[in-house]
Amino acid sequence: MNPMNPDNVLRDLTRRHFFSRCSMGVGSLALASLMAGRGLGAAPAPQFGNPLQPKPTHFPAKAKNVIFLFMAGGPSQLDMFEHKPLLTQLNGKPIPESYTAGKRFAFMDSSHRSDLLGSRRSFQQYGQSGKWVSDLLPYTAGMVDDITLVTTCKTDLFNHAPAKLFMNAGSGVFGRPSMGAWVTYGLGSECDDLPGFVVLQSGPRGPRGGAVLWGSGILPTTYQGVPLRNQGDPIVNLSTPKSISQGQQRQLVDAVRDLNMKRLVETGDDEIHTRINAYEMAYRMQTSAPELMDIKEESQATLDLYGIKDPKETSFARNCLLARRLVERGVRFVQLYDTNWDHHGGPAENLEKHLPEKCRDIDQPCAALVRDLASRGLLKDTIVIWGGEFGRTPMGEVRESTGRNHHIDAFTMWFAGGGFKPGLTYGTTDEFGFGAVENPAHVHDIHATILHQLGLDHKQLFVRSQGLDFRLTGVEEARVIRELLV
Amino acid sequence: MSFMKHPFSLILLAASLAQGVAQSVPAKIEFNRDVRPILSDNCYHCHGNDPSHRKAKLRLDVREAALEQEAFVPGKPEQSQLIERILTDDADELMPPPDSHKRLSAPQKEILKRWIAEGAEYQPHWAFVAPKPVGLPAGLKSHPIDHFIQTTLQSNGLTASPAAEPATLIRRVSLDLTGLPPSPAEVDAFVQASTADAESAYRAVVDRLLGSPHYGERWGRWWLDQARYADSNGYSIDAPRQIWKYRDWVIGAFNADLPFDQFTIEQLAGDLLPEATVDQKVATGFHRNTQINEEGGIDKEQFRIDSVFDRVATTGTVWLGLTIGCAQCHDHKFDPIAQQEYYRLFAFFNNQDEPELRVMDPVVDAGALTAELKDLEGRIENYLEARADELSKWEAGLTPAAIKSLPPQVRKILAEPAEKRSLAQRRTLGAAAEGGAGRFEEMNGRYQEIDAQLNKSTTTLVMQERPQPRRTTVLIKGDFTRPAEEVTPGTPAVLHPIAKTTNPPNRLDLARWIMRPDNPLTARVMVNRIWQQYFGRGLVVTENDFGLTSTPPSHPELLDWLATTLVDRKWSLKEMHRVIVTSHTYRQSSSDRPELREKDPDNFLLARQQRLRLDAEIVRDVALTASGLLSRKLGGPPVYPPIPDGVLNQGQSKRTWKESQGEDKFRRGLYTFVYRASPPPSLSVFDAPEGFTTCTRRIRSNTPLQALTLMNDDGFFEFATALEKIIQKDGLETAFRRCTTRAPKPDELAVLEKLDTLNAARALLNLDETVTRE
Repeated sequence: MNPMNPDNVLRDLTRRHFFSRCSMGVGSLALASLMAGRGLGAAPAPQFGNPLQPKPTHFPAKAKNVIFLFMAGGPSQLDMFEHKPLLTQLNGKPIPESYTAGKRFAFMDSSHRSDLLGSRRSFQQYGQSGKWVSDLLPYTAGMVDDITLVTTCKTDLFNHAPAKLFMNAGSGVFGRPSMGAWVTYGLGSECDDLPGFVVLQSGPRGPRGGAVLWGSGILPTTYQGVPLRNQGDPIVNLSTPKSISQGQQRQLVDAVRDLNMKRLVETGDDEIHTRINAYEMAYRMQTSAPELMDIKEESQATLDLYGIKDPKETSFARNCLLARRLVERGVRFVQLYDTNWDHHGGPAENLEKHLPEKCRDIDQPCAALVRDLASRGLLKDTIVIWGGEFGRTPMGEVRESTGRNHHIDAFTMWFAGGGFKPGLTYGTTDEFGFGAVENPAHVHDIHATILHQLGLDHKQLFVRSQGLDFRLTGVEEARVIRELLV
Repeated sequence: MSFMKHPFSLILLAASLAQGVAQSVPAKIEFNRDVRPILSDNCYHCHGNDPSHRKAKLRLDVREAALEQEAFVPGKPEQSQLIERILTDDADELMPPPDSHKRLSAPQKEILKRWIAEGAEYQPHWAFVAPKPVGLPAGLKSHPIDHFIQTTLQSNGLTASPAAEPATLIRRVSLDLTGLPPSPAEVDAFVQASTADAESAYRAVVDRLLGSPHYGERWGRWWLDQARYADSNGYSIDAPRQIWKYRDWVIGAFNADLPFDQFTIEQLAGDLLPEATVDQKVATGFHRNTQINEEGGIDKEQFRIDSVFDRVATTGTVWLGLTIGCAQCHDHKFDPIAQQEYYRLFAFFNNQDEPELRVMDPVVDAGALTAELKDLEGRIENYLEARADELSKWEAGLTPAAIKSLPPQVRKILAEPAEKRSLAQRRTLGAAAEGGAGRFEEMNGRYQEIDAQLNKSTTTLVMQERPQPRRTTVLIKGDFTRPAEEVTPGTPAVLHPIAKTTNPPNRLDLARWIMRPDNPLTARVMVNRIWQQYFGRGLVVTENDFGLTSTPPSHPELLDWLATTLVDRKWSLKEMHRVIVTSHTYRQSSSDRPELREKDPDNFLLARQQRLRLDAEIVRDVALTASGLLSRKLGGPPVYPPIPDGVLNQGQSKRTWKESQGEDKFRRGLYTFVYRASPPPSLSVFDAPEGFTTCTRRIRSNTPLQALTLMNDDGFFEFATALEKIIQKDGLETAFRRCTTRAPKPDELAVLEKLDTLNAARALLNLDETVTRE
């Protein structure tokens, strides 16, 4: 918790319960004297009081928070950001074999084709930086000078679930900690009434892979992402049971605290102290999470900025606004999943109709989020990341209609805020957008860079399990891409 | 920075405490205890077993190789390069290099100096040398465990804690052996009996608990963690699968106290045993608990290989306590396991088909029924033949109207030429002609009954050896598209030799190799993992890694005594449990004491027991028991207790959850259906593993989401409602005892009395003490 935050100071002054602050509050002092009475003099170690207590960084941080806008399925960089006239010109021609020799693709044995597919979108250059953006993203085009575009992102895996895990956890193996878990593990959280790592979802279904994408793996579940849900309780089991009043719930929490304190004094077990704090935070979450989800207090201008038509309806736009509200409250890592970006050319997933629809869903809100964060002074402390688990091939795929296959050698992501260099385009791809000809950016390098901005050295952020030091960036060397940074 | 790293510095401290050494540099340097941890943590990464990462051609893990490169001169630290390099002020020369973020402390440098001065002798890694029988002092009166623990305590000026209160003790041992708390009557009887003869009262309780069928549930779940058991296929589609017969096999094996060597052999190679029984085949489900990727567009071979990787890594972790999986992409960096040896182990697991096995209900005598079915078939055939003329006359005489009145399947058969009809079709036709009475109907009715019974079976996933072995090669960097040289099945050279019954050896030989008495690892690894359940931490903290980077055992002699005892007692796990829980070390109080807080705050020396938060399933079981709702039904298909709305829709596919009715709503937590990709929140918030990879130690987190679950979850609220009725009928004190096993103190009762009865019930189920075994 940030003691300088006036909200917190006010809240503490008005709090009537003497043990209601997490970690080393008044309650701890009282407790220490009780325990001293039993000869258990040493005060409980602070790390036992609250595992999410903010921790020191490895070196001074440039950013404090992360918002990761995840386009699940693999957005087509060639129809959004990568302007390739030669690809258009050679539409329908086979791709030179030199590009594809030895490469493996998803659906290799069935629908995969090797004929080039030119984009049908029109591209223009925008802003001071003169970045190319297609007509699918008019709002993003309007903020190209505020974002850092990386066109040479590279991943290792070409099936959805493993590739999503790779982008989130640096490994395709299920059960590794996700980036949000690593970051909250490394830095703790500055929010004492919401989880440190929050997940929001939009689109017709959950992302492939499900809860493992925000799992804590070998780290304690303290650090796992908590999905905020749009229907029912925002957090599973958040609401007090129907027949119980708020007053009764408070009585319950107080009674449990009083009895747990007695046991703590009796046994000297610091875990009880942690549990007492967990109940206090749970109780605060019961109020703060619904408050967070209730966007009534936002102005019409703000709703319009994001393009939110119905404030109650689940949408990517509403989730973007919630992301800003979360960061405002000190939540460390916010991840938004928007699903259905898998445009193979199937009946409900083609490039002509469905990609434009998806782009319409996200374009305005993405730009609004960056603007809104900037105007509130939050962007400098917040890294906004946009991207999917991979991109799509320059070759077309012919199913019911036109689409593209999964592509892992070069795809586009963008970054804003948090010390990333605005207006920069990093990396160059070949004339078909097949691979990097300059400055490839592997997922592990991207992870190292994000951690670096948060004040964490990716080599020092590890846990040992099964005889190995596990890192977000894996065992091979990873590089902080300093060129991306201010 | 990292709390996982934390135990390592502590264990080093504990190791030196355990040796009774006050200063940080011991009087006589011992390689295994003092030097190896320094070298393996700081040097072996670049100067160890893996040639591809070796710098300056120097390896320090083998004495001869280090001498050859003139790393040191035995007896002469001042002439040794190693010492020069760790002491230098020149950053370019300094070892370990500054950018490795590794730094030697002053005592560590002093240890290395002294080690070289004393001759730089090496010792083989302790865990690769089989444990020898540990002698006990003649006439030892105390329990051997207490002897080992208390010797170390004494040398550190500490004493064990007094025995726990009888009520605490019976709750502890009941939860530890069966996962269920004792009933108030059992507590009263024990407290009463303890006043007369505490020792025999306690032994009687232990006997009763080890004989309880719930023992198999409790310790079966411990094994299922290691077996990475769950009820779905994992990956993104995560469709349900049926493999609960394997789960029930595990529970049954624990209850029957199947010796651990047999238990191992049946799971790894039950199908290869001579005249394998159905049960032995079901046991091979152990290695079918890998995930199956059903996503579109995948290369099936890639994921088959991935599951074999998982089987090799799991076998290594579970039975050998070795991180064999590390050698998948390159030679192991720390342990003497070459990449080629990894693929020789891989070859054992690369030669199976992965079928489903149909398993009959045990009450059905499938053999007798099949025989009767065959007999009936013959009799029906004869009967139809004898009546062939009459039947064809009946058929010829059917009018169109009569045909129309017949059931559709009969009309379909009539449309087929008579000579092409199967027996099944002729049976149906015969039944129609006979009009549903008489001798034929009797035979046919029985036939259908047996047929239905035989088909009413459950399937389970098993292993089955292929007649033609697959070719196995080394895979470069573990990439299945990059095969290198071919390998044959074999075991790592650093360990004991394998005895072959076939050439090349097969999985059965591998399983027997693991269980050979000269295997230095398996017995130690198992007793350590059992110990960990009782004290929250193993004698070797790195319970899944006994290799060169493992933490040294805090009590090496005790570990070896336990390991040799397990073998002496013919691998009986029940005997091991009895040995451990009858020690004073186990039975002492878990409360902290001022002098311990100062000298051993993390309780490595075990001068007290350890309070442990209950495992996820047992948090549920305790609440169910306290509220009187628990169904004690054993085994069977997984159940679907109420689950919060919306949690099953987090992944790609929406899942159905047909809520169980009746007593199945209140079964023990281990029977709840687990989708790997969306496990039930009330289990996962309490750190139940999801079954992606083997879990040899559960994390014990302590979070606000746990508080929300216990306070607000519909299931727990229902338990509270039931507990409220108990409060109303029998009073608060009884309810308190049902949750914590002990009587409340007046000031505790006073807190609860201020609440309404429902809230009092909720408070009781939310107490730290209720979800903790003390």
